[in-house]
Amino acid sequence: MAYKITDNCIGCTICAKNCPVGAITGTLREQHAIDGGLCIECGVCGKVCPKGAVEDPSGVPCSKVTKEQWKKPIIDKDACAGCSVCVENCPKDCLEIEDPKFHGDIHTVAQLMFHKEDACIGCMICSKVCPIGAITF
Amino acid sequence: MSTNYGGYMGKVALVDLATGRISEYPWTDEERRLFIGGKTMAAKIISDHLSEIVSPLDPSNLLVVTTGPLTGTGAPSSSRFNISTISPLTGILTSSNCGGNFGYYLKKAGYDALIITGRSETPVWLQIHNDTFRLHPADDMWGMLTGHVQEHLDEKLAEGANGRKVKNGKIVIGPAGENLVRYASVVSNERLAGRGGVGAVMGSKNLKAVTVSGNKMVQAKKPEQMLKLNQKWFKYLHGHPLTGDQMPRLGTAGLVSAMQFNGQLSTKNYKYGQYEDYEKVNGETLAEKYNIVNKGCLTCPIKCARTVEVNGKAVKGPELETLGLLGGGILNNDIELIFKWNFELDELGMDTISAANTLSYAMEANEQGLWDNGLEFGRTETISQLWDDIAHRRGVGNELAEGSRWLSEKYGGKDFAVHAKGMELAAYEPRRAVGLGLGYATSNRGGCHLNGGYMVIMEGLGLAMDAQTPHAKADGTVMFQDLMECISATGQCLFTSYAFFPFFLLKYPQAWYTKAVNKILPMAGPVMRIINKYPEIACIHLPVIFNQSKAMELATGMNMKFGTYIKAGKRGYVLERLINTKLGITAADDKLPKRFTDTPQVEGDDSTKVPLETMKKVYYDARGFDQNGLPKEKILKKLKLDNLAVAKMPVRQPLWEGPAAAEKKEACADGNH
Repeated sequence: MAYKITDNCIGCTICAKNCPVGAITGTLREQHAIDGGLCIECGVCGKVCPKGAVEDPSGVPCSKVTKEQWKKPIIDKDACAGCSVCVENCPKDCLEIEDPKFHGDIHTVAQLMFHKEDACIGCMICSKVCPIGAITF
Repeated sequence: MSTNYGGYMGKVALVDLATGRISEYPWTDEERRLFIGGKTMAAKIISDHLSEIVSPLDPSNLLVVTTGPLTGTGAPSSSRFNISTISPLTGILTSSNCGGNFGYYLKKAGYDALIITGRSETPVWLQIHNDTFRLHPADDMWGMLTGHVQEHLDEKLAEGANGRKVKNGKIVIGPAGENLVRYASVVSNERLAGRGGVGAVMGSKNLKAVTVSGNKMVQAKKPEQMLKLNQKWFKYLHGHPLTGDQMPRLGTAGLVSAMQFNGQLSTKNYKYGQYEDYEKVNGETLAEKYNIVNKGCLTCPIKCARTVEVNGKAVKGPELETLGLLGGGILNNDIELIFKWNFELDELGMDTISAANTLSYAMEANEQGLWDNGLEFGRTETISQLWDDIAHRRGVGNELAEGSRWLSEKYGGKDFAVHAKGMELAAYEPRRAVGLGLGYATSNRGGCHLNGGYMVIMEGLGLAMDAQTPHAKADGTVMFQDLMECISATGQCLFTSYAFFPFFLLKYPQAWYTKAVNKILPMAGPVMRIINKYPEIACIHLPVIFNQSKAMELATGMNMKFGTYIKAGKRGYVLERLINTKLGITAADDKLPKRFTDTPQVEGDDSTKVPLETMKKVYYDARGFDQNGLPKEKILKKLKLDNLAVAKMPVRQPLWEGPAAAEKKEACADGNH
């Protein structure tokens, strides 16, 4: 399953520029296409498309969401076990396991990287893969 | 071939490096139910081709990389994968488990397992992305250290993706694997499939590395219930004194001190069980002075790994085995040297346990005047160079690369060449944990504490039953061997089983109830025998302490209770034994060096020897084997192994090659000239 680009595409290339895994190809002013073998269903293409020309895997057209409205993950630090699954799966590499707060600190948990907060595309993959549902949006 | 079970991806890939042909290997749901995954699945695959395998380093050998059904489902510590093959170190089946991320990504690509056969003419690396498999020349990577080659591969993958970083899992070998060091390992990130020489088999195929990536997700059969179970399970592990405190705080290294107090810490090539300088090389020193941060494998809430500084760089710290064997084992009290050696051995792609034990054997052989090799206990300045010489097979390193069994055949000293079936033992001295001694001797892959059942956890390292008595040790060993077999097969880390022991027994060792349990355990053999003989009667999930069977049920949809779980583990264990018996293994090979069975650790105290023969008799009975160590028809039938091809094949000549075989080959080659 993957996102799809419809005939409404005007070839503005915004989706291709934003796709974190390079799954979108196409030339300027021509219809773009998504490689189903690369698409990780992050949905950023749908959020940036000015023409609503992207459909999600179930065929529902996506609507544009401005960057300011993209949601950021909220990590339940009490529940998080620092297992790194979210970090490994984040397509923008904007999550990390925090540094130990003191020498011998054994309870390090996941956090959104301070300097990369803007990089987060609000794809919610971290929330989907978290084994214990400790990440919400 | 798709599957009706959850947790699995439903496909197994077969890559023939001789022809470059990629095909799908048939693997049915019935096989998934019986052989689960991981080492058990790999054993079944190897067993089906056993008659075709000419020798460990021949192209006909299979390198089978398997994942478990829990990998990718979110179950705690479930990113482990397994590599099985016929080992050049032992000549029998070996299985090596690794916490790197290769298995996790293999499932993202849509595969449960990868089988590699044949030999490429020239060095290659294999790139997998979903169903696309590409072989690339690896001439430029041949000779590279394992850290460097992994960085290089990331660059190569980025080159093919317009400079974009590609998330992937890798397995690679270092110079040791290329040069067929018999205990060469396979590396994934900083974690290793260390034991049994799986790296040498990969090297013999001219395969430097495999990278894998994909965009698929593992689907559990009942995702909502799985999530709830995981939440409960993570919390339980977090609150348990071993998995929530000791392991993250001190790592496996935390056991050094406990082993010292119990007389279980191998010292001077296992001559003694205590090392006077142990405080300089123990887990407390490592944690307090050096550990930068505790790390874990992907998906792990326990996080037992250490990080230390070597040459100004933060690298993986040593485990207990490495600290014990390269500390007291060779009379070295410099922990910083152990960090450095541990890093060097990982970079060269060599098993630290076998390397250390081969070295301590060589030191003792020199001391006893059997082999003039210049190596002495306590002399450490040449050791870094020695690792490099072993990996590149230079000088004395060329012989050390063969392992201690080979060396003891050539130079003598079999009584103190500390291996079982050719594989060097871990750092636990078995004379003060005789149940573990039985485990070492009977372990399917040779001298391994984990595959041997790890009875030492009840003999002083968790509970404290009488460590010297043979009572209940055989039945306990069988039960834990089976249990751990299945935990491995599902893709989970064995450390999740630490939480099997209720926390109050570990937290309050002096409490009356803990003391009572310790007293009762040696009498519990007959109870354990009932479970060992009739596991199916335990048709329940054990509440709180054992979530593994329920996780399997929720992830896969199989009907899996505690009893069926144990039975699946037993099936795996007996299948591995069956394979080994077809390669010539009998009761005579289930042995330990005489140092442990004939010489008491404490002079004059005969109870500090391993009463191996006494325990073996009970063990074979509990296993359903005859007294020659061969599985009886009845147990094969009960475990549905009686109709497998391997059950019907005749016993083969042993595949292990000793120094005599090498001399014979040389003589033949000279004759041809």
